[in-house]
Amino acid sequence: MTTKSILNSLTSKGIISDQQADTIASFEDEQAFSIHWELRSVLYLGILLFSSGAGMLIYENIDTIGHQVIIAVIALITAGCFYYTYKNSLPYSHEQVSNPNKLIDYVLLLGCSTFLGLEGYLQYQYNLFGTRYGLAVIIPTIVFFLCAYRFDHRGALSMAITGLASWLGLTIAPLSVLADNDFSDGKLIIPAIALGAVLTAVGWISEEQNIKKHFAFTYMLMGGNLACIAAQIGLFSHSPKILYFLIGIGLCCFFIYRARHAQSLLFLLMGTVYSYSIITYTIFDNLGADAAFGLSIFYFFFSSIGVIYFLLNFKKFLGIKSGVKK
Amino acid sequence: MKKAYNETWVENLHIQRQAAIWKSKNLLTGQQEEEVKAQFPERFYRPGIFVKIGLFLFGVLACSFFVGFLSLFTFDTRSEAGFSTLSLICCACFVFTLEYLIKTKNLFHSGVDNALLYAAIIAAMVPVFLLFEHAPVWAYCLIALAIVVPATLRYADLLSPVAIFGLIFTIMAELMMKFPLGKALLPFAVMLLSGVIYALARKNKDIYYHECRQILEVLALVTFYLGGNYLVVRELNALISDLNVSVAPQIAFAPLFYFFTFIVPVSYVFFGLKRADRILFIIGLIAFAFSVYTYKHYFGILPVSQGLVLVGSLMIAAAIALIKYLHTPKRGISDEQDRKNSLENLQAVIAAQQLGATPASRGLEFGGGTFGGGGAGEAY
Repeated sequence: MTTKSILNSLTSKGIISDQQADTIASFEDEQAFSIHWELRSVLYLGILLFSSGAGMLIYENIDTIGHQVIIAVIALITAGCFYYTYKNSLPYSHEQVSNPNKLIDYVLLLGCSTFLGLEGYLQYQYNLFGTRYGLAVIIPTIVFFLCAYRFDHRGALSMAITGLASWLGLTIAPLSVLADNDFSDGKLIIPAIALGAVLTAVGWISEEQNIKKHFAFTYMLMGGNLACIAAQIGLFSHSPKILYFLIGIGLCCFFIYRARHAQSLLFLLMGTVYSYSIITYTIFDNLGADAAFGLSIFYFFFSSIGVIYFLLNFKKFLGIKSGVKK
Repeated sequence: MKKAYNETWVENLHIQRQAAIWKSKNLLTGQQEEEVKAQFPERFYRPGIFVKIGLFLFGVLACSFFVGFLSLFTFDTRSEAGFSTLSLICCACFVFTLEYLIKTKNLFHSGVDNALLYAAIIAAMVPVFLLFEHAPVWAYCLIALAIVVPATLRYADLLSPVAIFGLIFTIMAELMMKFPLGKALLPFAVMLLSGVIYALARKNKDIYYHECRQILEVLALVTFYLGGNYLVVRELNALISDLNVSVAPQIAFAPLFYFFTFIVPVSYVFFGLKRADRILFIIGLIAFAFSVYTYKHYFGILPVSQGLVLVGSLMIAAAIALIKYLHTPKRGISDEQDRKNSLENLQAVIAAQQLGATPASRGLEFGGGTFGGGGAGEAY
């Protein structure tokens, strides 16, 4: 199937005129092969290689260069990034700000990263914050939150949320939730659930109140995953189980309900998978080993068919009008 | 092979996508795009990627517990013949469910059908492994091909071209490794086979297999390059000759492989640009990077840090120079993010269409027709 055959079928159905078909065909013919994205990728990759090479060179020659010079250079880069971003940014608005200058997104991200690096370097070399680690974490968190709202940047928002969670004694990033945190200590579970719930609520409020509506997704994704995983770990290893069960199921219902409005069906998947594992665990935990073994083959077979049926017909169940994409 | 999914819908899906692209380039009006959607309908169930993932996961879960479920009713699953029978019954059930769901639920690579297809292929392969225990590897591969190729032709699944490609190459390598001469000629055989597969894939113009074709193209281009790459040939040569040395020895025809290592990426990039073939172009760029690494591996003198700085600055300089050079399109290559037709052009065409002679006369015919028909049918 070529451009020509598509144009032919469009003209034969009378959707476009022959003249317009000719225009489209000639437009497609004389269209040059654009290597825009390839060139940009080469450029960014070159910058990455160059800066890592430069970093290694500096590291190898740290004795001759000296720490002050390096700190000064990092500080200069950070200041330059923030200054450039501020200069080129559009004024604040509650809505999504789409800046035609795409470069400032990267510059802001670079500035945020070097700010973190600068702080880490100062702490490592000169022990700037001493043992007040909380202070060291909350400063970049506040800076990132301000940047995220002022310059309308979701990357900075994710970094800020991560910082906030670290400040609460957690490191939250979608993949390292399980790896880095020692949930066996029950003290962390309730704060984790609380933070997750608060973040989800903030996301919901910002959507309802129309303040940076597009941030809701980031808030809910990070907060929701944190709260659900924490609730599950609570359910698996701590009592009172009924409390964690109710919290987990409540969150899952909220996500499935959210899928009606949300821009993404990711929440539908999260709600389904989390609630499936919570319910399955609860059933088998209460049955005892022998009965559970006998039941398992039937249970998993029929329940997974049930979930498939639900996912195939979720639009009908949730009353979503067709035409919701993604 | 009869196709499992509704071919017209696949074509219509393609037309709709093309129309959406033209709409974004101001070549069609929004109204015309709507009309395209109405005239070329497709009713596939294509949920978002996340729902697909969920469907796939639970599909795999359901398939595996279905096997357990069935094994409760069969008396003899310990013996090989018994388990093979069970596996074949499962395969039949999976295929039946797959066909049934595609027909009734209008699935189109929606997760469940992928899971069912993979489960059916695995279930079909299990008896082969159980019943023929000591067959050579290439025999297993041939039987697997006999199952996967028809499945690909029917379902156009995206993973099965990868499987076919791997199976063909395993068969070839297995057969050639048996002879000393075969070992020496293996790189050339790999290149030849890749070339043949690429040519065959390019011949296929059916939109139904569009994605399969692209996957085969990518794989064939990559293996063609790797087959001629000096580093790969030298290291693999040492590996298959069981030489336990820290530095792989020099290979026969070394100058030829130096030549291939250099010329293949360059020609990929050149022909990619000339024929406006993005797959060829991008693989050429990546292959070129690997060639640079090959050179550095044997002849490099710079330490890593200086090498990185040098390569990085060369890349930056080249990219910036090209961006500046292509500020206006040259030789059919441009640096435009997204070329758009100006809206005035479109409006002019539409206006000409509406005001021109042809549409007016057609409008008259239309009016006459409906009027006459309506009168005959209802009022009289």
